[in-house]
Amino acid sequence: MKGTIAIVERELPSLLRMKQTLWIFVAVALTFSATVLLKWPSTATADLSGIQARAVFRGLAYSMFVTVILVVPAFPATGLIREVRRRTMELLLNSPLRRSEIFLGKLIALAAFTALLLSVTLPAMACCYAMGAISPTHDLLGLYGLLGIICIELIVLGLLVGTIADTAESGLRWVYGATFALTVITVIPHMFLQGGDSSYATVANHMRTLSPIPALLQLVGDATPGATGAIEPMDLIQRYVVSAMVLSLVGCLICIQRLNYSLMDRSRAQGLITDERSASLRVARRVMYLVDPQKRKSGIAWFLNPIMVKEFRSRQFGRLHWLLRMVAGCAVLSLLLTLATTMGTLDWGVEKVGAIMIVAQVGLILVLTPGISGAMIAGELESGGWNMLRATPLSTRRVLTGKLMSVAITLALVLCASLPGYGIIMVIKPVLQTQVAQVVVSLALMATVAMLTSATVSSFFRSTAAATTVSYGLLIFLYAGSMLVWANQGSPFSHAVVERVLSVNAMAGALNAMEVEGFQIYEGLLRTTWLVSGGICGVLLLVLSARTWRIWQPD
Amino acid sequence: MSPVVEINGLTKRFGQFVALDQLSLSLNKGSILGFIGPNGAGKTTAIRVLVGLTRPTAGTARIAGADCVREARKVRQLVGYMPDKFGSYDNMRVREYLDFFGAAFGIGRRKRRARIAEVLEVTNSTWMQDRFVESLSHGMQQRIGIARTLLHNPEVLILDEPANGLDPQARIEMREILLRLADEGRTLIVTSHILPELARICDRVAILAGGQLKAFGTLQEVSRALSQRRTMEIELLDANRVVSVAAELRSSLETDCEVTPSEAESVVRFRTSADEEQLSVLLNKLVTSGERISQFREVAGDLEEVFISVTQQETHEQPQTKGESAPVTETAS
Repeated sequence: MKGTIAIVERELPSLLRMKQTLWIFVAVALTFSATVLLKWPSTATADLSGIQARAVFRGLAYSMFVTVILVVPAFPATGLIREVRRRTMELLLNSPLRRSEIFLGKLIALAAFTALLLSVTLPAMACCYAMGAISPTHDLLGLYGLLGIICIELIVLGLLVGTIADTAESGLRWVYGATFALTVITVIPHMFLQGGDSSYATVANHMRTLSPIPALLQLVGDATPGATGAIEPMDLIQRYVVSAMVLSLVGCLICIQRLNYSLMDRSRAQGLITDERSASLRVARRVMYLVDPQKRKSGIAWFLNPIMVKEFRSRQFGRLHWLLRMVAGCAVLSLLLTLATTMGTLDWGVEKVGAIMIVAQVGLILVLTPGISGAMIAGELESGGWNMLRATPLSTRRVLTGKLMSVAITLALVLCASLPGYGIIMVIKPVLQTQVAQVVVSLALMATVAMLTSATVSSFFRSTAAATTVSYGLLIFLYAGSMLVWANQGSPFSHAVVERVLSVNAMAGALNAMEVEGFQIYEGLLRTTWLVSGGICGVLLLVLSARTWRIWQPD
Repeated sequence: MSPVVEINGLTKRFGQFVALDQLSLSLNKGSILGFIGPNGAGKTTAIRVLVGLTRPTAGTARIAGADCVREARKVRQLVGYMPDKFGSYDNMRVREYLDFFGAAFGIGRRKRRARIAEVLEVTNSTWMQDRFVESLSHGMQQRIGIARTLLHNPEVLILDEPANGLDPQARIEMREILLRLADEGRTLIVTSHILPELARICDRVAILAGGQLKAFGTLQEVSRALSQRRTMEIELLDANRVVSVAAELRSSLETDCEVTPSEAESVVRFRTSADEEQLSVLLNKLVTSGERISQFREVAGDLEEVFISVTQQETHEQPQTKGESAPVTETAS
C-alpha cells in the first residue's frame, strides 16, 4: 500500500502540473458556465413541469460524457508509453515496488485527476439542481456514479493500450479507436437487429450493454439508440455497470500481468526479405500474397513524389498491403451496410440508412485523419527528420504536396471502398442519384477539411502526440460541437443560429442532401456547407503553406 | 589551391545571446577538420550555417565558392550533412531509406541503385540493407547516416558527433571510414567530444569556446601556441642515470619547470618555456657531462590537454565585449 501511495504522490502532482491540464480545466469550466447561462430561465414564469430543467440536465450530462470520452483516454495511454520510452518504468520495476502497487498507484492518480475534472462541473450541476425537477440521488448521484465508472473503464483501457503501443501517437490512435469501438460500434448492431428473435439479435442486444451510451440515455430519460417507440425493457444502467466492472477488472489483471521488463524488450525485426529466401518459398509467397510485404522494393520512380512514397512506406499501416487490407475491410463494411440497406428499407427507408452510412463514414474519417495527418510535420520535427529534409534540394511545395497526397489518397480509398452501399441506395431509389452524388461531394469536402486541419495543427507543434490530440479535439469540436448545437435547437438556440452553426459542418450538408429527419428543414444548407467548407479548406491551405514555408527557411 | 570551405566573420546572435562571434577560417580540399569546444561553444550553430539551416546575423560562409545563404540549394548538393540526431523513419528498411534520400537529391533510379550499393560498400553496411532502420543499433545507424550523406557524392562532409555513443569497436570502424573518405579527396568537418578519437583522424583542429574561435591549425601548432610550455623528452641508454639527469635539468632550467623522471622507461620528461637556443645549450651540456642520450625530442601536445587549457582560459577570462574579434592562433591558407 505504501508503494501505491508513493506512486500516487508522484503521478498526481505531475498530471496537475501539465500545461494541458490547466487548459482542459479552464475550457471545461467555461463551457459548462456558458451552458448554464444559455439555459437559465430569462422570464419570470416558473416552469412547474420541469421540462426546461430536464433539458438542461440532459445537455449537461451529454457534455460531461463527451468531455470524459475526449479527455480521459489520452492521459493513461500516453503517460505509460512516455514512462516506458524515458526508461523511468525500468527504474520503477527495478525498485522494491510490486507491479500491482505500480498499477494501482497509476490508476488511483488518474482516477483522482478525472474526479477533479468532474468536480469542475459541480457548480453548473448545482445551478441545474436549483432549477428543480432533478433528483439528487437518482439523477445527480446516478450521473456522477455512471461517469465515474466510465472514467475507470477508460483509464484501464488507456493503461492497457499503454502497455501495448510503442509510441505516443500510436497509443492515441489505438485508445481513441478502442473508445470509439466500445462506445459507438457496440451499439450499431442492435440498431439493425432489434426486435428480431435470432441469436444475432440476442448477441447484439448483449453487446450494446458494453457501451455507456444506452445507460446514459436511460439515466437522463431519453430514448435509447435505435428505439422505435417501445419502452426499454432492460435496466441498461445496471447492465452497463456490471459489464464495465467486469471489463475493468479483466483489464486491470492483464495490465498488471503486462507491467514487466518485456515492455522495454521490443524485439528487433530481423529484416527478412523474400528475395533472399529459397525458390520454393518465393513461389509460395508469390501465390499467397497479392502484394508481398517482404519483397525488396524497387526504387522510387521519377514521376512519383519521393516524400509521398516515404510517407506511405514509413506509416504504420501505409504500405500497399495494408492499404489493400483497409480497402477490403471498408468494402466488407460497405457490403454489410448494403445488406442493412436492403433489410432496413422495410422499416426505415433509404434516407435513414443513408444517414447511418454518412455518420459511420464521418466517424471513420474523424478517427483516421488526425492519426495520419497529425504526424505529418510534427513527427518530422520531433524525430529530427525535418532538418534532414531541409538539407536536401527539395522545395517546400514538393514536400507539402507529397505529404498531403499521401493522406488524401488514403482517405479517398476509404471513401471509395464504401461507395457500393450508396450504389445500392441508388438502385433501390433511383431518384436519389443526385442526392447521393451530393453526399459523396460533402464527405470528400469533410475529409479535406479534416486533413488540412490536422496538417495545419501539425505544423505548429513539435510533438506528434500533442498535435494529434489537438487535431482530434478541434475536429470533434467542429463536427460533434455543431451537432450538439443542432440537438439543442429551440432551447436555447434558434433555427437561424443552428443553421449558421451547421454551415461549418459538411456532414450536416450531407444529411440535408439525404433529407434526413431534422435536417431537411434547412433550406440551402448543402450549398452553404460546400461554400464554407471550401472556404475553410482555402484558408487552411494558405496557413499551412505559409507555416511550412516559414519552418523550412533557415532559423 | 583554393579553399573548399571559407568562413569570414561569421556571427550568429539569438536575441542578446551571441552563439557565434566573428568566426573566420578556411579549409583546403581533402582536409579533416576537428571542430571541438565545450557544450554551447557554437559548433553546431556554425555547422548549421554551413548547411543552410541557420541564417547568420553577419559574415559569410562559402562552400566550393557557393554562398551558404544565397545559394543554399547549390550548397545542399555540395554538402553531405549528418546531424547529431539520426532522424530515422519507422517501418523503413535501410535500402528504402537510402532510396528515398537518393530520390530527394534527384538521382535517377538506375544510378541511385548503383550508388546505394556503393555507399553501403564504403560504410561496410551491405549486410544490413534489408534491416529496418529503427531496429539497428546506434553504431549501425551512424554508419547508415554516413552512407546517406555520401549518396549524392558531395565534396564536403559535415558530421556532427559521428562517434557519439559508439562502442570502441564501432569507433575504430568509424575512424577507418572517415580516413577512407578523406583519402578519396573529400573535405570533412567533424565535431566530437571524444578528443583522442579526433586527434587520430584530424589534420586541422578548430577550438571554439563561447562562440569564439580560440585556436585553429594543426594539433601541434595549436598545442604549442596555446600552452606557453612544451613537453620535451630525453631518453637515456642507462636507466640508472635518470635521477641525476633530472636533478641536472632542475638546476639548469627555470625554477618552476616540471621534471618527471621515469626509471622504468629510462626517460626524463620536462615541461619548459625554453626556446630552441636554450634547449640546444642544455643538450650540449648533458652530452659533454658524459650522459649517453639516445633521443631528445618534443612530445606532440595532447588534444585533451589543449582543450582543457582553452576552456580553463575561457572560464578565467572576463566575458569579452561581444562583436570584438577573438585572437586566432593561426589561419590556414
